[in-house]
Amino acid sequence: MSTEHDPGAAPGLFQIEEPDAGAPKRRAAGLGIGIDLGTTHSLVAIAPHGAPPRVLEDEAGRALLPSVVAYVTDPPRVGAEALALQVEHPDRVLSSVKRFMGRAPSDIDEPIPYALGERPGDDGRVVRFDVGGRLVTPAEVSARILEVLVARAETALGAKPDGAVITVPAYFDEAQRKATKDAARIAGIEVYRLLAEPTAAALAYGLDRSEQGVFVVFDLGGGTFDVSVLRLDKGVFQVLATAGDTHLGGDDFDRVLAEHLLRAAKVETPSKHVRAEALAAARAVKHALTTQPVAAATLPRAGLEGFEVTREAFEAMIRPVLGRLRAPARRALADAGVEKDEIDGVVLVGGATRVPAVKRLAERLFGRPPLDDIDPDQVVAQGAAIQADILSGNPREGVTLLDVVPLSLGVETMGGLVETIVPRNAPIPIRARQVFTNYSEEQTGMTIHVVQGEREMAADCRSLARFELSGIPRLPPSMARVEVSFQVDADGLLTVTARELMTGVSQTVEVKPTYGLSDDEVERLVLDSLDHADEDFEARDRAEARVELDRVCTAVRRALAADGDDAALLPPDERRAVAAALEEAAAALGDPARPAGELRRLRERLEAESEPFARRRMERALAERMAGRRVAEVERAVGDAKALDERRGGHHPTMTPPAPATE
Amino acid sequence: MTPTPQSVQPVPEPGPGPSAPEDARRGVVITARAAKVMRDQLVKRGTPDAAIRFGIRGGGCTGYSYVFQFEDRPPRAHDRVFEKNGVRVCVDPKSMRLLEGTVIDFETGIRGHGFRFENPNVREHCGCGESVSF
Repeated sequence: MSTEHDPGAAPGLFQIEEPDAGAPKRRAAGLGIGIDLGTTHSLVAIAPHGAPPRVLEDEAGRALLPSVVAYVTDPPRVGAEALALQVEHPDRVLSSVKRFMGRAPSDIDEPIPYALGERPGDDGRVVRFDVGGRLVTPAEVSARILEVLVARAETALGAKPDGAVITVPAYFDEAQRKATKDAARIAGIEVYRLLAEPTAAALAYGLDRSEQGVFVVFDLGGGTFDVSVLRLDKGVFQVLATAGDTHLGGDDFDRVLAEHLLRAAKVETPSKHVRAEALAAARAVKHALTTQPVAAATLPRAGLEGFEVTREAFEAMIRPVLGRLRAPARRALADAGVEKDEIDGVVLVGGATRVPAVKRLAERLFGRPPLDDIDPDQVVAQGAAIQADILSGNPREGVTLLDVVPLSLGVETMGGLVETIVPRNAPIPIRARQVFTNYSEEQTGMTIHVVQGEREMAADCRSLARFELSGIPRLPPSMARVEVSFQVDADGLLTVTARELMTGVSQTVEVKPTYGLSDDEVERLVLDSLDHADEDFEARDRAEARVELDRVCTAVRRALAADGDDAALLPPDERRAVAAALEEAAAALGDPARPAGELRRLRERLEAESEPFARRRMERALAERMAGRRVAEVERAVGDAKALDERRGGHHPTMTPPAPATE
Repeated sequence: MTPTPQSVQPVPEPGPGPSAPEDARRGVVITARAAKVMRDQLVKRGTPDAAIRFGIRGGGCTGYSYVFQFEDRPPRAHDRVFEKNGVRVCVDPKSMRLLEGTVIDFETGIRGHGFRFENPNVREHCGCGESVSF
C-alpha cells in the first residue's frame, strides 16, 4: 500500500499507483501447530491448510509424551526415557512441573518433592529446582518438553513450524501464562496464542460453528480434575466458571486398585518395585475394563497370578473417588449461574473419562450424554491444532484472519460521539488505550459502548458491546480518570477493559469485531463515511458544542444554588444577566436543531456573564483556605496543582453515565 | 512475521476549520505540467478515459498518508471531481476536508521526478515524506 518509489524518485514526490484490490490484507499462510502442554503428558497436533487435525506420534508410535524431564545426562532426556530413570534418580527426574509454572515458592501450598535452590536476586519470586547442583526453572523444564514436540512436528511437516498455539488451564493467571510463553521462547517457537484447554476441546468438536450455546467441559486427567462452563456468543467462547481439584484424577483409580491387588497378594509393606508393579498392573486392568466386563491381573514379584477383577468390583472400589467429582461439577454450574437444562453440550477430556463409570456420572451430573467420539487424551491438542492453522493464515470454514483491523474501533462519548481508540488498518496484534473522565460529580458509573466503523456518531456505527463500570468515586467534573484499553489479539479478538485509576475497579468484555462482517459490508461502511463526511463533521461539531454548553450550564447552576443569594458575590443586576443567559442556553439545549455556532455563542455569553461571579467565589475560597498558611506552602500548593494539570495533559473525553434503570 | 504489539495515540480529528464561503474554496488545483504527465501515464496504461483518485487515509507514521492512484470506476456520487486539460481527479468528501487548496504539481530535476502536493492544511511531514499530520 505504501508508495514504491522509482529508484530515481525523491522523497516527498509521488507516483500514480495502481488501484489496490480494496479487500483487507489477508495474512500469508504458514505452518501452525497445536500443543497440549499437560501436567502428566503432552501432545502435539497439526491440521495443515484446513485438513482434519492429526496428533503426531514418535518413532515408536506413541502420541503421548510423558511430561517428564531427566537431568541425569546432558542434554537431559524427555518423556518415556526420562520416566524410566525416575525410580533410580527420583531427585533428578522432574515431573508435573506444570504445577509450579509462574509460581513463587511461597505460592505453593503442597509439598514440593524436589530440592529447591535460589539464585542471587531471585527474592523468592521463582521456583528453581536443584537437580544435582544445576538450577532449572519450571519454564526451562517445560521448554525441553516443547522442543521434543516441535521437533516431532518439524519431522511431520518437513519444515520448521511458524508458530504454535499452546493450551493452558482456563484458571491460569498472568504469571502462569507468562511462564508458559517463556517456555516457548526458550524452546524457540513463536506463540500465536495461549488457548484455554476447555475452549480447545470445544473447538475440536466444532462447537464454535453454532451461533451460541452453553457447554461444559469435563476434564479428568491423570492427576488433575477441571470442570469448565463455557458460553459461546457470536464466535467467542467465554469461560464462565471453572472448578476442580488439582489432586484428583485417573492416578487415584490406579492407587485404589493397586492397594486392592496388594491386599489380595497379602503384601503388607510393598517395596518400591512391588508397588510400581502393582500400579502398572492396576493401570492395565483399568484400561481393559473400559471395554470388557472382567480383566485379570498378574503380579509376579508379589506372587499374584491371574487375579480377576470385574468392572462392578472396580466401580465399587473407586466410588469414593468418583464422589469427589460431584462437588466441583455442581460448583462450576452454580458459579456460572447455569441450570442443568441450559447446557447444550458436554465434552469429555482426559484419559480417565474413558472409565464407563465416569461417563455415566458426567451424564447424570449434566443431564445429557457427553460427546466422547474424539480420543479424550487428544481432543485438546486437536482443538489447538485447528486454532493454530487458522492463526497461521489458512482460511477455514469461512474464518479468515486479517493482518489489520478492518474498521476503526472506539467508544461512545458524551453527546453520542465516537472516540476512536484503534484506527482502521492498524496492524494486529495491537493494544491501545485512552483515558476518559467524568461529566459531573453525580456520575459514579460509566457506560462503555464499544463501536466499530468510520462514522463520527455512534448511532451510525456497528454496536459491538455495551457494559457498565460502576463504583467510580464522586469527584468534581473532569477529575475522575477511567482508562479504557483495547487489545486486539492475533486472531482479531477484541478485549476491552475499563479501569478506574483511583480505586482500580475494572470491567472487561471480549468480542469478535469481525463476526458477521463481510468484505462488502466493510467497504460499504468505509464508503458511507466518505459520503457522509460533511454531515458527520457537522454532527460532531454540534454534539461537541452541545456537550460544552451543557457542562457550563451545570456548573453555573451549581454555583447559583450554592452562592446565588450572596449579593457580595453576585450583585442583583449581574444575577439577572446570568439567569437570562442561562435560560436562553437551556432553551437552545432543548432544541436539537440548533447549529453549533449558536451553541458556542451561547456558551461564550454565559461564561462571560458568570465570569465575575466565578472569580469572586474563587477568591473567597482561596482566602478562606490560605488563611494562616505561610507563603511557601501556598506556592507549593499552586505548583503541585500546576504539575498535576500538566501531567493530565491532553484531552480526556467524557463518557456517558449509565442510562437510568427505566430505559 | 507477526507484527509486535504497539501503542497508538489517538489522532485528533481536524476541527471544522476556518469557515470560508463555499465559492471562495479552490478545491484541488492541478498544474498544466501535472495534467500532462497524468494524461501521458493514462494513455501509456491503455486507459485514456480513466481518472485519478486523490485522497487521504489513516495510517503511515504520523497518522495520515496520501492515496494517489488510477481510478477505473466512474466517480462516486459524493466525490468532487477536478478537471484540467481533460484529466479528471476524484476526491472523496472526507479527504476533501484535508485537501482543500492543495496544488498538484509535477517536478523533474536532479532530485528525481514525481508529483508534489502543496497542501496548505499540513502541519508537518514525517521523515519518509509519505505521511503527514494536520
